[in-house]
Amino acid sequence: MRTRFGPQGADYAEKFARIVGAEGVLSGPAAERAYDCDAYSVDRSSPALVLLPRSTNEVREIVAACLESNIPYTARGAGTGLSGGALPALGGLVISTKKLTQILEIDLANRAMRAQCGVTNKKLSDAVRQDGLHFAPDPSSQTVSTLGGNIGENAGGPHTLKYGVTAPHVLGVTMVTPEAEVLELGGKVAGLAGSELIGLIVGSEGTLGIVTEAWVRLTVVPTHVETALIAFPSVRQATETVSEIIAGGIIPCALELIDHGILGALRAAFNLQYPEGTQAMLLVECDNGGQGVAGTTADEVRSDIRRISELCERNGAIHVRVAKDEAERAKLWEARKKGVGAMGRLAPSVVTHDGVIPRSRLPEMLDFVYAVAAKHNVGVANIFHAGDGNLHPCFYFDDRDPQQVERVVGAGEAVIRKCIELGGSVSGEHGIGVEKLDLMALMFTEDDLALQQRAKTVFNRGELCNPCKVLPNQKSCVEHRKRWRGVAW
Amino acid sequence: MKPLAELTSHCIRCGFCLEACPTFTETASELESPRGRIYLVRSADEGKIQWEDVRPHLDRCLGCRACETACPSGVEYGAILEIARDRLNRLRPNLARKFLLKTTTTPVLLRFNLAAGRLLGSKVPEPFSRMISGQSPEANQPKAQSMGNFSPLTGEDLPDVRGEIYLLEGCAMRVLYPRVHQATRRLLRRIGFTVREVPQGCCGAMHAHNGELADARGKARALVAAMPGDLPIIVNSAGCGSTMKEYESLIGPEGEAFAARVTDLSEFLLAYGLKERLTDAPGLREPLTYHDACHLAHGQKIRSQPRELIRAIPNVDYRELGEADTCCGSAGIYNLTQPALARQLIERKYRHIQATGAALVATGNPGCHAWIAQAAAEHGQTVRVLHTAELLEMAFDAAPFTA
Repeated sequence: MRTRFGPQGADYAEKFARIVGAEGVLSGPAAERAYDCDAYSVDRSSPALVLLPRSTNEVREIVAACLESNIPYTARGAGTGLSGGALPALGGLVISTKKLTQILEIDLANRAMRAQCGVTNKKLSDAVRQDGLHFAPDPSSQTVSTLGGNIGENAGGPHTLKYGVTAPHVLGVTMVTPEAEVLELGGKVAGLAGSELIGLIVGSEGTLGIVTEAWVRLTVVPTHVETALIAFPSVRQATETVSEIIAGGIIPCALELIDHGILGALRAAFNLQYPEGTQAMLLVECDNGGQGVAGTTADEVRSDIRRISELCERNGAIHVRVAKDEAERAKLWEARKKGVGAMGRLAPSVVTHDGVIPRSRLPEMLDFVYAVAAKHNVGVANIFHAGDGNLHPCFYFDDRDPQQVERVVGAGEAVIRKCIELGGSVSGEHGIGVEKLDLMALMFTEDDLALQQRAKTVFNRGELCNPCKVLPNQKSCVEHRKRWRGVAW
Repeated sequence: MKPLAELTSHCIRCGFCLEACPTFTETASELESPRGRIYLVRSADEGKIQWEDVRPHLDRCLGCRACETACPSGVEYGAILEIARDRLNRLRPNLARKFLLKTTTTPVLLRFNLAAGRLLGSKVPEPFSRMISGQSPEANQPKAQSMGNFSPLTGEDLPDVRGEIYLLEGCAMRVLYPRVHQATRRLLRRIGFTVREVPQGCCGAMHAHNGELADARGKARALVAAMPGDLPIIVNSAGCGSTMKEYESLIGPEGEAFAARVTDLSEFLLAYGLKERLTDAPGLREPLTYHDACHLAHGQKIRSQPRELIRAIPNVDYRELGEADTCCGSAGIYNLTQPALARQLIERKYRHIQATGAALVATGNPGCHAWIAQAAAEHGQTVRVLHTAELLEMAFDAAPFTA
């Protein structure tokens, strides 16, 4: 069954081709299929048309035409989102940013860069690597995910622990508002007009408009980095060690946990080596970047990683390996960052959850995750940002079986309920999208949600711009939701 | 071959393939991406969309398999593509493409074509291109390389013959690149191997890549029969080697032992000591670079071996090529079936080549060789394209290559 709302594609293809050119319009059954979900495939809904604009002005013209003809639209970057943020919930248009891939200006003296929002995260960093700088947010999808998507989701990543999520690294945005106006907030220099509103835009999941360009902050690349991979014979020993490391006064720049559920896939995919009997691994990195958090000299960084290693050994670690050079470090990070992508070796589909808890509760939380997976009879692996308590239980299953889809949704809900019970949050970095709409009420009261709705209304009064996302119970969304979930297969 | 349902089920939509895919980065369209194509094939296989809706997007796929290198889940995209194309060919045969495959892979027809083609100018004729692709032509007519004037290999430092190997002569290779085979034989002799000559046909790679699986299987079985025993089978054409190493999947158990014997020339030369032989060679002084043929880098995971050999050339000024393992757009017959996209990709490739400042480019596949050579000619012939075997032989004896 195809879900199509708003216009029939063909009627409007010509109209939009006048804006973006014939090559910028994708239509027909294949386009409707290929763009009906992102990397979260439990919910699917087809667009009527997909547009590939080449400039901010074309985006503005598209939005103006949508206003005029009452067509819903949803922005999409690389489609690597994990909560269905790019799902065209009410059909209409998918507006892809993948033709907006220019880096527009690099200002080394002011450590700032202006880029179009379809540029991949990694290309931002690559462009200034030779100058000793980078764009610090590093979501695991960074080789493909876009600046626009990172801004929409306020993306995190392993190094969030020390360098923070996307928001503090965005100095300015150019966006097309739902009223089809081009709005500039902030800019190259901190504190420009509108810069205090950037915090509202970053993380709004494309519901307040479409960001087309941004000024981002460039950060000095640390000159000394030490990375260790530490094997534990049980998950509990690893999780208990995590809070001890931080309690011990060292904040590594990254502290990741990988459990037995995915180690085999990582060995097959990336030749990741670990001793027999390993049930969990910690990937720990210390560097001399940033200000005053960790050691600032090479010796201090080495001493930090040594202290962490010793602590791990006291806690029963069976193997500690410190990467000997940049190449080995890069290989470890490749295995970590592309790790979830290796789960296709285990099952046809994966849902990666994203709850947050106080890291001191990690041991009992992980026990709970395994128990939930067993109870709902779904496979689970954990590969996540343990240092800041940001869980990623990855439930793997066969999405062709509707019962399994239901069980996975149930297991996810149980995990998120537990996160909130432990004093945590419904999402760390993957966003709410459509995946966690129902779970918002677990964390926010009706008053909270009403306030968020009002804040949204300041930018987005209508129901066309990325409808049915983030805030539950939006008008005209509830009945359509039944069509999205698990229906495609 | 595994069924499509099984092959496509390993894609969990992470999207790590996207930036590796040349047609995605050129078009920005999910429909022209590996993830999109896998999803479309899976959907058609399950009856959710029509196969005809998938066709144009599989037609636009280069089959370069860069997505396989990028894929953490080990999705066998090449196999998915071949099976899905076979399905499409059976639904509606593409006669023009069948004809093209036939003429390219049958030496006698190819020779006739070369002769006839000279009467028709340098480009592939417009009506022919229109019929194949619906677009104006970009590729020149194939032109055969002339034989090199090599002096016989003699001398005290030539090692004793220590073994025999089979050499795949290939269908197009033997007609278009005879000097590459000469250089190959000489390099093999320099490390003590001679070629056992046997009558042999086409390996079926082009047919497999284009989804003519019945034809590919027939040719594969004939080739297996033509090279019995356990001698190593040396291949100097990336596309052929890649398919021959996957004969088990193509023709079943009878292909298994054969596939295990298939070795790319660069692997063999490195394993049997050409690097050491090179230390006594006069070497080369021109700045040079290396372009990874897709079916070496992505199809066979061969990246370091050719580079290691090239870097062992005395006095070498080797410069690494940007996006070295991104497809040049030749992709078998792709520059005939999709001229516009192929043109975009060769220009992108050539920009990177120029940026290295190299005077010589080596590569290990006839398709890339001809296509990059055409670009070099169009851009004022400041760069020469050679097969890796030619470059290495040139390091020993440059004269036959300068004539």
